[in-house]
Amino acid sequence: MLQEESDLSLIIAQIVQKLKGSNLYSQLERQAWASLQRPEIKLESLKEDIKEFFKISGWEKKLQNAVYSELSVFPLPSHPAAPPEHLKEPLVYMRKAQGSWEKRILKSLNSMCTELSIPLARKRPVGEQKELLNKWNEMGTDEPDLSLFRPVYAPKDFLEVLINLRNPNYENGDSLSFRTHLGLIQVPLKVKDIPELKECFVELGLNIGQLGIDDSTQVPPELFENEHVRIGQKVLAEQDSAAAQQYIRQGSPTALRAELWALILNISSQPEDVLYYEQLKTNVIQHDLLVDSLIYKDVKLTASNDDYYFVFEDYLYQKLPQLPQCSAATTLDQSAAIHIEVLLCFSRDTSVLSHFAYNSASPPKSYIRGKLGLEEYAVFYPPNGVIPFHGFSMYVAPLCFLYHEPSKLYQIFREMYVRFFFRLHSISSHPSGIVSLCLLFETLLQTYLPQLFYHLREIGAQPLRISFKWMVRAFSGYLATDQLLLLWDRILGYNSLEILAVLAAAVFAFRAVNLMEVTSLAAAEAVLADLSTLKVMPLLQIFLFATVT
Amino acid sequence: MSRILVPCHVKGTVALQVGDVRTSQGRPGVLVIDVTFPSVAPFELQEITFKNYYTAFLSIRVRQHTSAHTPAKWVTCLRDYCLMPDPHSEEGAQEYVSLFKHQSPSMTFPKWLSHPVPCEQPALLCEGLPDPSRVSSEVQQMWALTEMIRASHTSTRIGRFDVDGCYDLNLLSYT
Repeated sequence: MLQEESDLSLIIAQIVQKLKGSNLYSQLERQAWASLQRPEIKLESLKEDIKEFFKISGWEKKLQNAVYSELSVFPLPSHPAAPPEHLKEPLVYMRKAQGSWEKRILKSLNSMCTELSIPLARKRPVGEQKELLNKWNEMGTDEPDLSLFRPVYAPKDFLEVLINLRNPNYENGDSLSFRTHLGLIQVPLKVKDIPELKECFVELGLNIGQLGIDDSTQVPPELFENEHVRIGQKVLAEQDSAAAQQYIRQGSPTALRAELWALILNISSQPEDVLYYEQLKTNVIQHDLLVDSLIYKDVKLTASNDDYYFVFEDYLYQKLPQLPQCSAATTLDQSAAIHIEVLLCFSRDTSVLSHFAYNSASPPKSYIRGKLGLEEYAVFYPPNGVIPFHGFSMYVAPLCFLYHEPSKLYQIFREMYVRFFFRLHSISSHPSGIVSLCLLFETLLQTYLPQLFYHLREIGAQPLRISFKWMVRAFSGYLATDQLLLLWDRILGYNSLEILAVLAAAVFAFRAVNLMEVTSLAAAEAVLADLSTLKVMPLLQIFLFATVT
Repeated sequence: MSRILVPCHVKGTVALQVGDVRTSQGRPGVLVIDVTFPSVAPFELQEITFKNYYTAFLSIRVRQHTSAHTPAKWVTCLRDYCLMPDPHSEEGAQEYVSLFKHQSPSMTFPKWLSHPVPCEQPALLCEGLPDPSRVSSEVQQMWALTEMIRASHTSTRIGRFDVDGCYDLNLLSYT
């Protein structure tokens, strides 16, 4: 009992410390001072009156939302004896694996610099700064020569590293047997089975209304959709983050989604935030980074890739009928420009560095030219510590359909990254980390579709080799945009990425009949190449709640 | 009452197994670690802290001398305390653990361990309501700990990534 009390006081102390540095704290202070003018605030009951004022004016709710946000994002404080690296990742062998992987990335980036004779970072001459400022809005259409740049790594390189992960203290028998080495992931992380997933994702059950199922044209809206929209509007009016997170488990109405996501992520665009974003843009103008070219290249690849282009173009034509068709192309170019702008600014945002406290990865380090080894000239590179990989820009793409104001879009993307997306490309034992997701996927398939799993393995088509790229990109660019947004609703609602692994298994289950007939990896990949017609919620529901276990 | 680390000597692990150690191929599942307290005055044990490495269940036994004339007796303080909820997976495998004497009903240190200095009040070891002054000192210790965290942790966003306006970099550093 006492242990829990002291744990609680530690959590409270940590949250208070974090909030003390925030805008909200200074706003609350200002509000408290201003409230002294009000007639209902009496000196003899000052504390109670101010608290009552905060409650009525909605400031208490804002504080609640901020506390809820901290609890959702930051892990619980660990044991006082635990060093900081333990908070990043408790298992030593995983930390070492992440360290080796990072070293490989650094070497790759360094050799690119040396081969191309391009510095990692340099200050732009004034003339170049002016030129960039003038051409800022054309970033989507200009064609710099990017042929010499190659991505630092692709998801399949990362998969090889995960396949080779081993726990030095784990032994599963002297000889290779049928049971061992069935899947690709060989580390014994705890993953949920279907009964546990059903408990966890109870709101996706068969007898509960869902957007993505119960809002289809055949279902009369009075049965579920109208009421659900009404509740959503109420949640937004209350401005309650926790209620919004609970609500969105059943999906978000399209018209409310942008505001709901902002409420759950506790994003409110204050003037300070717009100013901060403008400052980041200034940083982009002043300094040129090598990673900028990587970002450019990634976005260009995305925009020119027919498969990706199709899903977004399709969404534009179908979901935004007020948009004349001839300007869809312009909108996509504008979208590419916003894409690039957001990612360039993201690279310069030092506030992202704070998420490395709970990310197993660490930001790369460099020294100012000529000052190698001098600690006062040590810096992080890029400033936000995140080196983009092939496909990184796909994390931003869906958000461009929800938010049109660049600084708000930026805040949403940054928060999504430091809450969720970073886990998809760092090696950790976290239940939402990519290693756990891979193991969850493989285990679900082996347990509930053993024939399919065995067949695919026999023909040299290990299922994870196909599904890995879906999970690493959170299915962005693979699903139709409206389906992707319904999926990301649930990521926010459950504050977990496990749904990605469940969906991946559900897709295999859905195409099982075709997959049982293929006889090669290429044929298996062809069966699973096009996911753009899939409806995610029925797939998830059937897999979790209508499969015989 | 302040808390101090008690110097102790932790011996190497000894496997408990049936049969001849040298010829047996078996992997014992039980290991024993002896901890001795060399030449220390009697103390009141508050907390045991350690880092786990793949131990699933922990038992603690203490040998006590009741008086100078009777032989020493072994007493079990903790039996099969679970450190890993699923021993076949990584949960809890490398966690830092603290065991407090008032943590659970099964965790009782025998009275002989508490030898209060004559001028102090005797400590309460029963399972009833904890002593209020003890509660407040525990909370004070936690707040002292959070002050330490506060001091070592810079949570303010500086915003600047350059050094005096310069951010010219050639290569990344591996160290």
